[in-house]
Amino acid sequence: MSDKKSMILNVNGNNHQIFADMNEPLLWVLRDDLGLTGTKFGCGKGECGACSVLIDGDVQRSCRFPVAYAAAGQEIITIEGLGTAGNLSKLQKSFIKHSAFCCGFCTPGMLITATGLLKTNPYPSRDDIILAMNNNLCRCGSYSNIIEAIEFVVKEY
Amino acid sequence: MKMTRRQFLASLGGASLIFAIDILAENRTGSSSFGPVPLEREPECIADYTDTDYTNWIVFDPGENVRVFTGRTELGQGLKTVITAVVTQGLEIEPEQLTIIQGDTDQCPDDGPTIGSAACRVVGWGFWHACLKIQNYLVNSTSTKFGIASDSLEFKSGKIKIKGDDKTFLNYSEISTGEAVVIRVNPDSTVSTKQYIDKKILNVNGIDIVTGALKYVNDLKIPGMLYAGFKTPPYHKSITLLETINDEKTKEIEGIKAVEGIGGRVVIIGERYSDVTKGLSLVEAEWRTPTRAKELNIEEELRASSHLQEVKEDEGDVETALKSSAVVLSETYYTQYITHAAIETDTSLAAYDNNSGKWNVWASTQWPHKQRSQIATELKTNETNIRVIAQPAGGAFGGKIGNTVNSEAAAISNFAKAPIKLIYSRKDQFQLRSHFKAAVVIDITSGVDSNGKMIARKIDSYDDLAEGSTFVYDIPNVLTRAFKGNIPYHRAVVRGTSYVQTCFAIESHVDMMANRIGLDPFEFRRINVQYPAFVNLIDSVAENIEYSDNNKGQEGNEGIGIAMVKHGGAQLGVISAKVRVDRVTGQIEVKKICAAFDVGIVVNEPTAVVGIRGGIIMGIGYVLREKIDMDGWGTYTEYLGEYGIPRFSDVPPIIDIKFHDNLQPGGTVRGLGEMPVVPTIGSIANAICDAIGVRFYSTPITPEDIKKALGTDIENLNF
Ligand code: FES
Ligand code: FES
Repeated sequence: MSDKKSMILNVNGNNHQIFADMNEPLLWVLRDDLGLTGTKFGCGKGECGACSVLIDGDVQRSCRFPVAYAAAGQEIITIEGLGTAGNLSKLQKSFIKHSAFCCGFCTPGMLITATGLLKTNPYPSRDDIILAMNNNLCRCGSYSNIIEAIEFVVKEY
Repeated sequence: MKMTRRQFLASLGGASLIFAIDILAENRTGSSSFGPVPLEREPECIADYTDTDYTNWIVFDPGENVRVFTGRTELGQGLKTVITAVVTQGLEIEPEQLTIIQGDTDQCPDDGPTIGSAACRVVGWGFWHACLKIQNYLVNSTSTKFGIASDSLEFKSGKIKIKGDDKTFLNYSEISTGEAVVIRVNPDSTVSTKQYIDKKILNVNGIDIVTGALKYVNDLKIPGMLYAGFKTPPYHKSITLLETINDEKTKEIEGIKAVEGIGGRVVIIGERYSDVTKGLSLVEAEWRTPTRAKELNIEEELRASSHLQEVKEDEGDVETALKSSAVVLSETYYTQYITHAAIETDTSLAAYDNNSGKWNVWASTQWPHKQRSQIATELKTNETNIRVIAQPAGGAFGGKIGNTVNSEAAAISNFAKAPIKLIYSRKDQFQLRSHFKAAVVIDITSGVDSNGKMIARKIDSYDDLAEGSTFVYDIPNVLTRAFKGNIPYHRAVVRGTSYVQTCFAIESHVDMMANRIGLDPFEFRRINVQYPAFVNLIDSVAENIEYSDNNKGQEGNEGIGIAMVKHGGAQLGVISAKVRVDRVTGQIEVKKICAAFDVGIVVNEPTAVVGIRGGIIMGIGYVLREKIDMDGWGTYTEYLGEYGIPRFSDVPPIIDIKFHDNLQPGGTVRGLGEMPVVPTIGSIANAICDAIGVRFYSTPITPEDIKKALGTDIENLNF
């Protein structure tokens, strides 16, 4: 019972050939086949948001997203695609500046979701931010700092 | 392998200047109880050639680099950031010169469990004291060795130089005599300087965190590695016996390597994690369980099975004082089972290394040395054959001290003869673990005299240690007894220790007493506190929450509450909450939290503030949301959503935090950590009562409870 197939994934601007079960969650292909471990496993049930990625600009839960559905030319952006150490995105910088994390495990998902939000709504209110981010969980409770970090980007740019 | 003293020093770098830091034992942990985890210290690894008291090491290498070794791990509390702030400023070096080695049992001495608050307080402040002593040592030895007056020497970037002369300098390591220098410090002693605290530093892992580069256990991969997962049994493992496994349906999944009963659990081993999860949904298993005589009710279970464990306090004569009281009130409070629910589920990577003949286990843990001994027991081998390497944890909150995932991974790896990455599912996280913040039944009776002074209090706490009962109020006659339950689940530390349960009961009860004798709750507390510093904190929050005679708001459904805590050595905290209750939907909105802390010097404010806010939000979870569904036999919560950890929408729009560090004598660091969780709970419970005039005796307080209490529960209306 294997549906293994060769597919092309476009991740962070690069094409990758992969050979995987079509129903395998995108999360594990990113992590195990492409070595992109910034996208985290926190529940596998779509409940925590740690596995969030952007697919054609939309925030998606990669733990529930069959890889085959992402392999038809869609552009996938993971945390590694938002910015690098020497070239951080505004949100990444702002997260550091505002101490928007403790353990940092939820942070990639938070940054992806916030990036998705600012793409569709560059000037969100505090309530818009809360609504867009509400299904991303942070057990350390860094929520207020995350809100401040996003608001800072909205205000400054 | 036991090293000789010489081998050990050589292993650290023969030409290096080595300091062994002894942070005095009684100050190591900052809390007297670690739930089920015994506190005896494990044998050391590298440091076992010597006294076990040298818990941390600072090594000056030839050149300008400094290495710090500590057994304490990174959990998100910012320990690495605190050590960086302290050591770079204490030794006048740049962050690039510093390497911190945390939680590797082959390199770091055992320093007991890493408890968030205490780690930053004890290790951070301990290192500061150590650095000051090291400075002294360096100056004195240089001055003796080269005959230069000590006041003409200064430090810069890892060198000692003569003031005003930029050409003549000495690397710290050049002073080395080839011996370790022992530095003993007491982190609770006072030092005159506050200088490093003024230099705030942001999380040193920040860039790695925001780029996804920080490696948690799950992010590691080694050749030949397989994944493993468990099928969750229906009840606690102590009352379920695995009888049969039927793996017929899993056979068609190519990547599955084995379906096996290991340690009474059904384990699936597969090439990919998705093979494992698919297999787990298909495999069938039968467990034998005893027949249940009747439905279990956890409160009844706790009371019925409890036996007296400890008399916490017994002062004066409670019964006589109660008889002479103007008002006596007896109540019972209940709290729920709570779990840590870190976003990183328990994950471990275990592999036998043929070259070294040792097991390597990469762990997310608060206590690597404890894990090492658990793994050794599981594999029936010597601790010296095990190396535990702590990776940064994706949250811990007390849940990664004695947890079993690492020994389970090692056992499965031993069976499979392959490196194994074991990942707990979210369901496992709720149903496989045995340690929870205990549900508690608290019977509390107090007596007040006609002046509003509490003169007697009696507490019986079932399945809890009744921690935190002793400190806040000045009551001459007290009797506090802790009873131990007899159910298979163990008490665990979850952010905030068992102060949480006790203080919810005490602070609610204190409000009820105030109400009985017609005193305002803020005023009643001012009369009864044990430390005058509390009065300043009460005044501070009263002002910030805009306390008035009528807190009800325009719609008459708002309220203000207050609660207090004394934690650890001398950390005082008062929190006031303002809530709005929707009488129709039952929704409770926390509009504002005002906190005032007297915690001495704040070590590093950015990490402290995010930690305090996090604690307040966790407190909101405890009082309004979270609950493990369980009876004496099993836990049945499966999803995060069901459990109810707080979300963005639960965050109060205003969280006001004030530090008061001069209210008590002595400029020491007393730490923050879990303390904010505790009074958040009581203050919100009291604010709800203030808003709608109904007292709730158990947590969590949910919209359903509100609707039921107010008779607005449409489904149950009596027409
Ligand atoms: S891991 Fe995908 S939502 Fe939690
Ligand atoms: S920072 Fe730890 S879970 Fe969000």
